[in-house]
Amino acid sequence: MSAAKLFLTGMRHGIPVVFGYVPVGIAYGVSALEAGFSPFETILMSVMVYSGSGQVLGVSMTAQGASLAAIMIATFLINFRYFIMSACIFNRLPRLGVLGRICGSWCVVDETFAIFTTAPSKLAKGFYLAGLICLTYSSWIAGAVIGVAAHSLLPAWVSAGLGIALYALFIAIVMPGCKRNLKIGLLVLLCILVNCLLSSIIDGSWAIVLSTLGCAAIGAVFIKDTKGTGQKPQDSGAADSADTKDNVKNHAGEA
Amino acid sequence: MEERNYLLIVLGMSLMSYLPRVVPALFISKVKLSPFMLRFLDLIPYCALSALVFPGIFYSVPGHMQAAAGGTAAALLSAIFKLPLALTVVISVATVLLMLYTGF
Repeated sequence: MSAAKLFLTGMRHGIPVVFGYVPVGIAYGVSALEAGFSPFETILMSVMVYSGSGQVLGVSMTAQGASLAAIMIATFLINFRYFIMSACIFNRLPRLGVLGRICGSWCVVDETFAIFTTAPSKLAKGFYLAGLICLTYSSWIAGAVIGVAAHSLLPAWVSAGLGIALYALFIAIVMPGCKRNLKIGLLVLLCILVNCLLSSIIDGSWAIVLSTLGCAAIGAVFIKDTKGTGQKPQDSGAADSADTKDNVKNHAGEA
Repeated sequence: MEERNYLLIVLGMSLMSYLPRVVPALFISKVKLSPFMLRFLDLIPYCALSALVFPGIFYSVPGHMQAAAGGTAAALLSAIFKLPLALTVVISVATVLLMLYTGF
């Protein structure tokens, strides 16, 4: 397959992601402005960070008055899963040059990982990844731009009401995993309890970091099947991390 | 709130997002994580997101904790009934706006 055809195929495969990205990008844009970021900084963050959960986490923590160090640690923690995804993606591209790796890894996210690592091996080429990235990355930035534009058109009380949007998104992301695996549900409840107690004693952002690390470690000891109850991992949109695990295993097997 | 350097937050977050992506891309052959670490990483998003939501969500609508609580309940119910992500967000926001509009 020619380079141009690979690139276009990659773009075509990224189209469904656009429909998910734009609304979240808008909600992010509005929240970031509400948290005090300037329009330029809001869009810059989408360009420089390109991590839905990471950006939303950073914006929420900023809104809650967290310190820079706490925000950076939390960003690193929530984005550490990209370590595994990046390993899987570039494991499929052994002949890619250093420049391609430096640029391509900038855009490793759940969605590109999911599509790229499940694509037929004839598509596992640098140009396919480039096409996929170009469309998804630009739609993510476009979402933030639309959010910034929308914010100035909305009355203040509506913008304030939108502050809950990303929290609602988090609830929607976490819930399916909790329903699939009751142990994960219990872990989430434990983490909420620990965080509520800790945040009444210490600074709220450090409470989030500590309760996350502590509870995830406890969970890793007691929950052997972190992806659910052995049901099909594709039964839910929030099975991202579950899919990740499967792919890690598959690719470890191949390698 | 004191004056903050938002640009520094963006740059710091950028660094912390890029590091875990670029390191394995460049040094793929040396990456090996234990099963415990893989489970730990799987559970991080659940813990981080839930800790971030509670109790923060109750303060997400400045000065209107009841509206925020209403939006929380709406989001929880929508998520329990497996509505699509975007719809859950819309329902939660609509509940908050309705409560604000009707003066809760």
